Amino acid sequence: MNIEIFNPFAYQFFQNAILGGIIVALVCGLVGLFLILKKEAMLGDGLSHTAFGGIALGLLLGINPLITALAVSVLAVFAISYMRRKKIAPSDSSVAVMLAIGFSTGLIIISLTGGFNIDLFSYLFGSILTISFSDLLLVSILGAIVLLFICIFHRELLSMVFDEESARIIGIPTKRFTILFDLLIAITIVLSIKVIGTILVVALLVIPGLCALKLNLSFKKTLLATTLFSTLSTTIGIILSAIFNIVTAGFIVFILATAFLLTITYKKLE
Amino acid sequence: MQNDMPVLEIKDLNVQRNGVAVIENATLTINRGDYVGIVGPNGGGKTSLLSAALGFLPYTGGSIRLFGVELASFSLWDKVAYISQHATNFEDQFPLTVRELVSLGCIQKGKLGRRFTQKDWQVVDSNLDFMGLSDVADRRIGQLSGGQKQRVFVAKALAHNPELILLDEPIVGVDSNAQERFYKKLSDLNVERKITILVVTHDLASVFCRMSKVMCVNKTVELAGITPELDANLLLKRAYGEHFHFVYHRHDCTGVFVNEH
Repeated sequence: MNIEIFNPFAYQFFQNAILGGIIVALVCGLVGLFLILKKEAMLGDGLSHTAFGGIALGLLLGINPLITALAVSVLAVFAISYMRRKKIAPSDSSVAVMLAIGFSTGLIIISLTGGFNIDLFSYLFGSILTISFSDLLLVSILGAIVLLFICIFHRELLSMVFDEESARIIGIPTKRFTILFDLLIAITIVLSIKVIGTILVVALLVIPGLCALKLNLSFKKTLLATTLFSTLSTTIGIILSAIFNIVTAGFIVFILATAFLLTITYKKLE
Repeated sequence: MQNDMPVLEIKDLNVQRNGVAVIENATLTINRGDYVGIVGPNGGGKTSLLSAALGFLPYTGGSIRLFGVELASFSLWDKVAYISQHATNFEDQFPLTVRELVSLGCIQKGKLGRRFTQKDWQVVDSNLDFMGLSDVADRRIGQLSGGQKQRVFVAKALAHNPELILLDEPIVGVDSNAQERFYKKLSDLNVERKITILVVTHDLASVFCRMSKVMCVNKTVELAGITPELDANLLLKRAYGEHFHFVYHRHDCTGVFVNEH
């Protein structure tokens, strides 16, 4: 009997997917960890839903929707930051308002252009297996920028997240760093759209960091554990989705959730 | 630097919080090497005074000079360390070891993003040692006792070699033995490293036994050198009110502190 084992690694599209997936997982995990420590995890969710408006706009205008999503996310994160700083609304409410504005704008545009289609569907739920070369290039460049920034300035970011006042005294330009970090979040969201889609981005942002935090490690080891959780879940998710032909985002989040359950069970038993 | 060089000069300072005056016409000078206890009733403006001196809280009148430079143009912030009253209120789950936290004190203005060298880690370890924290260096900060947490923040402050340390009520929730040891450590820093220290505290005995000056803050500010001639009771009554009575004899100080000679 001749059994043919499906080996996805033999295909270029699959290699691209794994590469893109790993970059996005690294970026999401690390940025997400800082977001959790800042207690602003839902900022990621709010921005990704706002980015939906940008995607719709891109589809309407015939521009790469990732570019328009990036523009809208950057605008949104600055708007949220502004509302917070000027005390127009508390942090979580500012996020809720931007989420609503972005998503509703997206809905109006979609209705105007004749409703939902496959293209839009792929941005809502991700389509890493069909990532184009140009999108992979965009993901790699933006991902490298975010990773480089975090590698160089992780201590400054940590110091700010831990205690902003004393960080400022020590000489960290906290306002500028906050703006830069906001920019990084917006970029991260847009990167993740291709992999996991706007709806579930928050899972890839939050769950890896949360799992790592449960292990009570040092900061350095927490960073490492976060990247392990995010890259492994994403890689396994992509492989399973290629084999079973099921939406990748669903698998990735399912594995992340399982990892989270296993971590808390392990801590309970310990 | 000379001993009598002013580290902090405040003239006719007025500070408001939400439109209400919290400091009125404060004038004082802190010299290099002073060890000052800042006392006064709750809500009297102690934290507001420190916040204004650090530029966190805008002031409505008067002037503040740090190391001889007007606050607005002061830039040598690496000479100043500040430990806020919220410093020890972090979440116990925060993923940071004692050594990692203290190393954050090595971040230098103008050299952001640099890689830490072996020398940085030596500075970290020697300050951990000085503050008696070597044994717990690899423990997570959430696992420390109240007294250890305070010492960690001082060690972090020391890592960037400051000339002035401002501590805002760092003693909440710490037993009296640990508290005394803590003020003794600060005293060592003051004497051995010539660091000027301003500490907001409710521990009057420690102030009058250990420190060189006392600053009473209750909207108005009064600074006095602690000398045998000082009538502490009279001074404190002006800040706390007529009903206040503080019994203090200088000879009581002997033996108050652990490890006192």
